[in-house]
Amino acid sequence: MENKEPVDITRHKILVANRGEIAMRIMRACRTLGVAFTAVYTREDADSGHVRLAREQGGDKSLYRVSSYHDANELMAVADDAECTAVHPGYGFFAEDFRFARRVCKRDRRLIFIGPSWKIIRELGDKINTKRLARSLNVPTVPGSDRPIYDEMEAERIARSVFEFQAQQGIARPLVLVKASAGGGGMGIEEVYDIDNFRSVYRRIRNYALRQFKDEGVLIEQRITDFNHLEVQIVSDRSGKNPVHFGTRNCSIQSTGLQKRVEVAPGFVPAQMDYSFDAAKVLQDIVHYSLTMARKVGYDNVGTWEWIVTRQGEPFLMEVNTRIQVENGVSARISSIRNHEGPVDLIAEQIRIGLGEPLGYTQDDVTFDGVGIEYRLIAEDPEHGFTPWVGRIERFAWKEEPWLTMLTHVPTDTPYEIPTEFDPNLALAIIWGKDLAEARERGVSFLDNLHLEGRNNAGEALKSNVDFLRANTARTLRF
Amino acid sequence: MINISALLDEIKASPYREIVIRTPHTGVVTFADIKEGDEVLGPQGQWKEKPGTRLATLERERNPKPICSPEKGIISKIHSQLEGMFVEAGTPLMVIRHMLTRSEVEHQILKKALYLFRAPERAKYYFTPEVDKKIRAADAHSVVVRDGMELLIMSRMKREVPLHYSGPTGVIYAVYFSYNENMDADAPLIGVCPEDQLPVIQDVIMRVQTEWTEKG
Amino acid sequence: MDNTIEKRIQSLNDRLSYTRDIFAGKHEDSIRLLDEKLTEFTNRVRNGEVEDPHTEIVSLEDLFVFVEKRLEKLITPMDRVRIVRHPQRICLRDILENVYDNFTEVGGQDEHSLDPSMLIARAVITRRRGKKMHTQSVMVIGQEKGHGAEFRNGGSVKPWGNAKALQYMRVAETEGIPIHCYIFTPGSYPIEDYPGAAQQIARNIYTMAGLRVPVISIISEGGSGGAEAIGLADKRLMLSHGYYSVISPEGGAAIEGRLKAGQRAAPELIEHCAQNLHITAQDNLSFGYIDSVVQEPALGARPHHFDFFRSLRQEVLRATDEVVITNTKPPMVRGLALARLRNPEANLDEMYVRWGMSGAAKNRMRERRQQKFLRLSRAAAIDNRPFLAKNAAALRDWVTKPWMHFKYDFVRRHQRKLHNIMEELSSEWDVFKGRLFSPWKRIASPAEKKATAKELTTLSNWVDDNRVSKWNYLSPRYKVDRTITCPNSASYGCLDLWGPDLFAEFAGVCSHCGYHFPMEPEWYVQNVFDKGSVFEFNREIEAGNPLNFPNFEERIKAAQEKTGCRSGCMTFEARIDGTKLVVAMLMGTFRGGSFGAAEGYKFVEAAARAAKKRYPFLAYVHGTAGIRIQEGTHGVIQMPRCTVAVRRYIESGGLYLVLYDTNSFAGPVASFLGCAPYQFAVRSSNIGFAGPGVIKETTGMDIPPKYHRSYRALSRGHIQGIWDRRQIRANLKQALLTMGGRNLYYR
Repeated sequence: MENKEPVDITRHKILVANRGEIAMRIMRACRTLGVAFTAVYTREDADSGHVRLAREQGGDKSLYRVSSYHDANELMAVADDAECTAVHPGYGFFAEDFRFARRVCKRDRRLIFIGPSWKIIRELGDKINTKRLARSLNVPTVPGSDRPIYDEMEAERIARSVFEFQAQQGIARPLVLVKASAGGGGMGIEEVYDIDNFRSVYRRIRNYALRQFKDEGVLIEQRITDFNHLEVQIVSDRSGKNPVHFGTRNCSIQSTGLQKRVEVAPGFVPAQMDYSFDAAKVLQDIVHYSLTMARKVGYDNVGTWEWIVTRQGEPFLMEVNTRIQVENGVSARISSIRNHEGPVDLIAEQIRIGLGEPLGYTQDDVTFDGVGIEYRLIAEDPEHGFTPWVGRIERFAWKEEPWLTMLTHVPTDTPYEIPTEFDPNLALAIIWGKDLAEARERGVSFLDNLHLEGRNNAGEALKSNVDFLRANTARTLRF
Repeated sequence: MINISALLDEIKASPYREIVIRTPHTGVVTFADIKEGDEVLGPQGQWKEKPGTRLATLERERNPKPICSPEKGIISKIHSQLEGMFVEAGTPLMVIRHMLTRSEVEHQILKKALYLFRAPERAKYYFTPEVDKKIRAADAHSVVVRDGMELLIMSRMKREVPLHYSGPTGVIYAVYFSYNENMDADAPLIGVCPEDQLPVIQDVIMRVQTEWTEKG
Repeated sequence: MDNTIEKRIQSLNDRLSYTRDIFAGKHEDSIRLLDEKLTEFTNRVRNGEVEDPHTEIVSLEDLFVFVEKRLEKLITPMDRVRIVRHPQRICLRDILENVYDNFTEVGGQDEHSLDPSMLIARAVITRRRGKKMHTQSVMVIGQEKGHGAEFRNGGSVKPWGNAKALQYMRVAETEGIPIHCYIFTPGSYPIEDYPGAAQQIARNIYTMAGLRVPVISIISEGGSGGAEAIGLADKRLMLSHGYYSVISPEGGAAIEGRLKAGQRAAPELIEHCAQNLHITAQDNLSFGYIDSVVQEPALGARPHHFDFFRSLRQEVLRATDEVVITNTKPPMVRGLALARLRNPEANLDEMYVRWGMSGAAKNRMRERRQQKFLRLSRAAAIDNRPFLAKNAAALRDWVTKPWMHFKYDFVRRHQRKLHNIMEELSSEWDVFKGRLFSPWKRIASPAEKKATAKELTTLSNWVDDNRVSKWNYLSPRYKVDRTITCPNSASYGCLDLWGPDLFAEFAGVCSHCGYHFPMEPEWYVQNVFDKGSVFEFNREIEAGNPLNFPNFEERIKAAQEKTGCRSGCMTFEARIDGTKLVVAMLMGTFRGGSFGAAEGYKFVEAAARAAKKRYPFLAYVHGTAGIRIQEGTHGVIQMPRCTVAVRRYIESGGLYLVLYDTNSFAGPVASFLGCAPYQFAVRSSNIGFAGPGVIKETTGMDIPPKYHRSYRALSRGHIQGIWDRRQIRANLKQALLTMGGRNLYYR
């Protein structure tokens, strides 16, 4: 802080390039920091809470209707008209789009992208690149190839050795994963359980990749089936030199489509629960590995390192999310920063460092207390493959508690039609307890006292995942 | 049987449609040299390949885009106070009073005569790639639909679900949805002409051809 | 009244209206004089006032002859255009009836024909030497205008009409009889339906370049591509009142005057264009594009000019005989025979030359025909290569040709054999080795285990690592901060693209629908071929202004300054993944990619170079609008010329590939591009014979949008495939590995 002239962040104005709950959190963080903002919305979202908040609390030129959240041109045009100086992408949409980040800071009228620099987004957004970076730093990754394989003979040789490798480890049903190296989001991935099947699967994936991505490279990896999904929250300022972590999270409770439904911080509780491995060491290791990588690339904003941890206690790096995540609040809820008033707000931290302020504290200043559980309240039908439910919410109410933080864009005073363009996420509920038992107990009590009612066109009652959340609360942090 | 004469009389009583021209996205508006009361033209040419009269220009990120008239008509209102201003997406720019054409009247009446396959839910709808290819190659009339056929894709909440057609066998006579447009639940998606209805449909077309004179 | 007098009056009336028509309002005094005299005479005859009508009409006819002779001297190029288009102009059927002794139509009858504008007949000529009669057969092919008959379509031949012509050329080749082509066409009918206007003409030219029978063509109205479809011949004659041009004067005027569709050019501009395009028989004779001129009667031949048919017959026979003699007779006898033939007093009906030829003679004839076309028009380009360089190239040829022959034809072949033997031996050894050691192979050592684990969990080597940018060249447009709308956005919902993304990383391709925006030629040169492998040659050959077309010098200069290139064709050697090839690139940025003598020169040289070096030959068409009209027939002649070069290259065993991009139209597509067995197109390109404006102008038809899109061309069978721009390199590599002729060195 001493070696540079101080940054006056209050001279900035931020374009909130997102909707719903995250847009509201960004706007509130801006208010806390004394930074002006501009929000955008689409026709379908006119009744969303974020529009109301922008109307009530925004200043001059703080709300624009745009044709789509996906159209970067709309965002740039609005940013110019509203005289914004920075863009916060939230999560989803443009959050991990390096081209958007590049455009924001390379256009004639330059803006600040509140997120990592575009080169880092590009570097860590590439699966192969990330894996190779990790390996170069001796960070453990899923066994298998770390470059696209184009040759069938070589592919088969690697697949064979992945099978052998698993046999040596004593894995009963070894599996090999073949995936298009240019793919993503679960497309172009197939399992092989027998080497004799490999060639046909390989050819299928290769042809798919060629058709879909114009690149026939494939990756061949071990398929790990029994694992917990952990995350490390990293925060680092624009210097890129002194990253700190805000602890770990466990996001193992997911829908059948592998989407997170419950997140818990910290990642394991070795003091309160027995694990078949040294859980404390695993947490320590993944934090260490994550910080090592962040330092190596000069990571300069908030980000999440995602890990899978096997029942044997081996961590493997999965990927790096170069953005603020939905579940950042649960980590913030159990953290505190020395000499820092009020609760920790990672989004405010992100904006502050994004605009150029130095971090102002070190790892030693960050302490953790208790257990946080975050529920994602969603209008969906867990009984039937988590299909989204569409309709109108008529009543949405809960009991206020000091240990409860509710984040929602759904208005509670008027009925609300769920827009069909987006996921039917309704709210995030963050519960704090001094230990896991208390957190679970409060969580269940929150869900018991929640009122969520609605009807659809056909007059059927609203479906939600409340029961699913309640049933899974007991499973939290258990492995 | 539908009563074509009654329907025609009803339409004849108010043969106009008001078309509100809105900005497709944000940008700075410059109106073309037109004023209230002017006549504007829709797309012209055998394949509608020539765009209609330019109404305004919307410039966003140094990319000026013409906004052209979708139909023939008379300008009944211009929001000229917007000239040179940055406007939001969906801002009304002007209103065009459009006299219904023969094919539109035909369309309206056919909507009563055809079998309408309706949207089960509010969502965006697309034809399946195979059907889409057929339609792009020729036109919708070339597609024969059968009960249970996988015809459409329903897209909502980022999820795409195949939608099976249910109803009588026939050709697609009219398509009521367009790309990237949300259709409300129960809104008609396609109009299908069952084979045995063909004479009725032809009768409608005949009647409209003879009884509807296009003016101006 | 005497019937014959009435007939003669009628005939004079025809002559008068003909004269009036062809001069289109000019020389009114003379025409009025004839008119008055004729009217006065007619009235007097009808009133029975004339005592000796026969004497008077002779003097009247003499007056007509006198005036016509005088007017003949005043004929302008545009008047010639009106002459050949006049319904009274002789047509092919008149020629068949009057020049040949007997004939049978084989290409259909009147309107009952695949294409009534293309007439094909087997004809015979009877000649006499001493008391012996000889009957000789020929295949007569030509456009039929039919004195204005509607169904003949003015001699504008449809693609299938040209295909029919090609079919009967092949028949003639099989039967070993000469072909006489009569060109009476304003141009081909520009439709794309299979076999396609351009592609069919290209096939015709390609075939004619190698026909093994004598071909004589006679030009009356030689309109560009349509003329070339049956025009490549051993001898080309031209009727003295005909024209042979790259484009109709009206079309030229429309381009010169930058007219939009539907606008008409002023008559002065058209006249000016006709003048400057140098379209007359004398012009073309002096350029060397025709071999001789057949003199017509004053103001052009009409069906009643029997003398003319006689002289035409003599000329056609002379030309055919000459071709045969030149290639059959041994050199010492040849001179004498030719001299006898060329004697203007000679009556060819009383001479007999056998038209049959030996195989060797046929080969000589083909070679002579090809060489003749290759030599044409060289002077029309500016060759700035230093004198020494030009001659050094020729000298090097002397030395390298035998060496190349030795290297590729001898060494490679034997090397391959040796290599095959070695391969077989070593595979046998591997099998043996495998059997020998198999008992020990099963057990994996701990060291091996460790190696497996290490391979699967630690960083591997990867040559492609740290590759930041994919492209060696970015369009300069990427520097401009603005957005661009995809033309498909209405139908595919594409969002606006940001210029700096589009023109750099995206390679000018819409990231949503895949629409290809045009890119600069440099993009291809630097991104398709191995970095640093491009070596340009013949850069010094420069586009000029061979016809001294007014104000054209400056326009060429401007194009040269704008593009930094001396002509619209860049020829270079390059490598793709180590495989060398020769590339001729037609650049759409240089005067629309129009093709003239300089471009043709470079193309022919490039084909020759590829043949000599045994490299594949790629014609990359960044864009071409057609033949450069301001070069007139210097441009048109590039069609047969470059096709000959391509044919020679392919027959020498090479792989000729064509890749179209942006817009490729007219002459080049209808010849040396369209004749390629392997033609590919880059997505979103347009390929065709004539653009929408020209089609509307010539046929009156509106054509649907996207009529010329590459996908349509693919469906019509004109091209073999469509490539994505970003995949050109990979696809070319694939093509090199899987296609092509026998002499490519890398096989």
